[in-house]
Amino acid sequence: MSIRVNPNVTPDLLQAIALDRQAQTTALQEISTGQQVNQLSDNPAAAADVVLSHIQSGQDDQFLQNASDLTSQLQTADSALNSVVTAVTQAISLGVEGANGTLNDSNRQAIAQQVSGILNQVLSLANQTYQGSYLFAGTATGTQPFALDSTQPDGVKYDGNNDLNTIEVSQGNAIQINVPGSQIFTNGSGDLFGALNGLITALQTNTNIGTAVTNLQTAFSQLTTQRVFYGNALQQLQSVQTFLNGDKLQVSTQENSLIGVDLAAASTNLAQSTTATNAILSATNQILTTMNLLDFLR
Amino acid sequence: MGTLSGALAVALGALGADDGAVAITANNIANVQTPGYSREQVNLAQNPPVQLGALQFGTGVSLEQTTHVRDTLLDFRLDQENQTASQLSAFLGPMNQVQTLFNEASGSGLQAPLTSFFNSFQQLSDNPSSSALREGVITSGQNLASSIRQDASNLQSLQGSADLGVQQSITQINTLTSEIASLNVQISGLVGAGQDAGTFIDQRTQLVQQLSGLIGISQTPAQNDSLTLSAANGQSLVVAGQSFALTTQINPQTGFHDVFAQDTDITSAITGGALAGQIQVRDQEIPSILSKLDTFSSGLASAVNAQSRAGFDANGNPGVNFFAIPATTSGAASSISVAISNPDLVAASSDGSIGSNGNAQALANLQNQTIVAGQTPANYYDGLVFQIGNDVSQANAEQTSVGLVQQQLQNQQGSISGVSLDEEAVNLIRYQSAYQASANVVSVINSLLSTVINMDTVLP
Repeated sequence: MSIRVNPNVTPDLLQAIALDRQAQTTALQEISTGQQVNQLSDNPAAAADVVLSHIQSGQDDQFLQNASDLTSQLQTADSALNSVVTAVTQAISLGVEGANGTLNDSNRQAIAQQVSGILNQVLSLANQTYQGSYLFAGTATGTQPFALDSTQPDGVKYDGNNDLNTIEVSQGNAIQINVPGSQIFTNGSGDLFGALNGLITALQTNTNIGTAVTNLQTAFSQLTTQRVFYGNALQQLQSVQTFLNGDKLQVSTQENSLIGVDLAAASTNLAQSTTATNAILSATNQILTTMNLLDFLR
Repeated sequence: MGTLSGALAVALGALGADDGAVAITANNIANVQTPGYSREQVNLAQNPPVQLGALQFGTGVSLEQTTHVRDTLLDFRLDQENQTASQLSAFLGPMNQVQTLFNEASGSGLQAPLTSFFNSFQQLSDNPSSSALREGVITSGQNLASSIRQDASNLQSLQGSADLGVQQSITQINTLTSEIASLNVQISGLVGAGQDAGTFIDQRTQLVQQLSGLIGISQTPAQNDSLTLSAANGQSLVVAGQSFALTTQINPQTGFHDVFAQDTDITSAITGGALAGQIQVRDQEIPSILSKLDTFSSGLASAVNAQSRAGFDANGNPGVNFFAIPATTSGAASSISVAISNPDLVAASSDGSIGSNGNAQALANLQNQTIVAGQTPANYYDGLVFQIGNDVSQANAEQTSVGLVQQQLQNQQGSISGVSLDEEAVNLIRYQSAYQASANVVSVINSLLSTVINMDTVLP
């Protein structure tokens, strides 16, 4: 007996059509989603890696947002301190002026008045808030940190604390984000409020004005030393932002290489599978309409 | 001696045989599209000769029992592949839905709520006294908890559907086994009486094929072409004319239906067919994913709670638990929720002052700590995603290869048992010409006989 071939070719034909159609759908899906991996099972390892890269870029986004919020906060603090610097500089020159022996009492009282105004200005700057939180209160940001209080030796009461906040600005990289007001304004090695009050008293009583000015200069240099912190922190934030943007770019490049589609390849696949589908459909039509011997019986 | 009437009988017998052959060919052609039909073969045999003195004369042809052309071994092989293929497709159906739940490539899954949750703490540490940011922490905690609960509940309902599938499969299996048993009776009866049972065997083959799509079976041929079927662990399903129905009982521990064959629990012993796939999804795959989700929820919630208790809330009071979870790991995913609703209770402070962000930072940093079964939450979840993708991907690959084997076996079977119209046409022409030849023989003999009968009129 001769070799028999399977006379029922329909399952084979249907299978071939289904495979080509599937290839077509896959290529189309890849092109429309821009992704090679549209289901976990398409590439489990890549799909799992995507989870991690999504998490990393999500963290980066948050770090960037934090950095931008922090920048405003630190800039507010820095500009407050800048105003303090200006005010204290003015107080020092007033003190130097007051130490001039040619002045009479009423001149000195007038200068004392001006220094007192500066003291109030510095006090309000030391109570500067950002979004409702006191910037120079340590972590007790809900309470106004500084108030005039004649019972205190330096004439000012500090209601804040000495605690610090640190914030992670990029993974594993935490920076300090505040300096307690006590360290800036009532520092043991240069008490700004004490020095200002001392100068006012010295001017009013015309005693030891020179010493009071020297004290204020010491407190001033302490102030500028502390202020450097904010400048440094702002600089650090800026470089962190540059790093984070770079990292995000890298993560997205990596993700793209994991699951992104190669458009050229996908388009070629689509064209190929379309051609193949057309070919198999045409072949199926020919095969199914092929006559058999019975058609020739008369 | 050969006689004219003897030759007439031979020609008549040939007409009858060709008649039958044409009928068989017609039946083959009629069944060309019938699923499971195996072609019938015409068996012609010469009749025993008669011996007259020194001479031997043939007595013509007769039509013998037709045979159905089939390869039983091939049927067995196909049934086996069918078992695997059905198991895989019953497994892949629900698992494709499971992987959609965790499809991180399209943005569904737990990664986004998890990242947002830790980011909300990170953001709070920027401005710990902001009640809007505190509210944000609670909202993102609720989002994370409800995403986890949603996943758990979806998994459980897929498990429930698989259980329903198990019950439906059992009903179908029982119908099929009882039909096969009654076909066994008919087949054995016919074969015992020396008749052809091919048509019934075709039917039974079809039913066995359907049965093997539902459950892994082993087939043993028995006397008179009867067929003994047993489940893969040896429990009888069909013996001769008797079928043994499978039953189900609710397992009090799982709440799902266990499968019993004659009072023996065979649930975990079922190896093939849709039933095995359904049981695999219901009893192994989904429970494994659910238990990982439980571990994830429990590890995450415990760590967040412990860190919350270590800090202080907005009023300077010691922190309280952030998440509410059951005491046991099991069930954590389906019941995790946020325990606090007052934003002031978020324990962001590490020193009791409202402006302290130390604890919010510590909470945000938990995401990089190994708090879930010795891994970071992200890595643990990542492993789960990989496991699901990998299981589906493996089953897909297996399904493709089984499909190819099936296709090849079906081709092989078709090449043996399938009806070829060309072949039938050739046969038809052959039987037609044989019939015409025999008819011509009859007419020749007829003319010879009339010559003999009219001999007196011809002679002078």
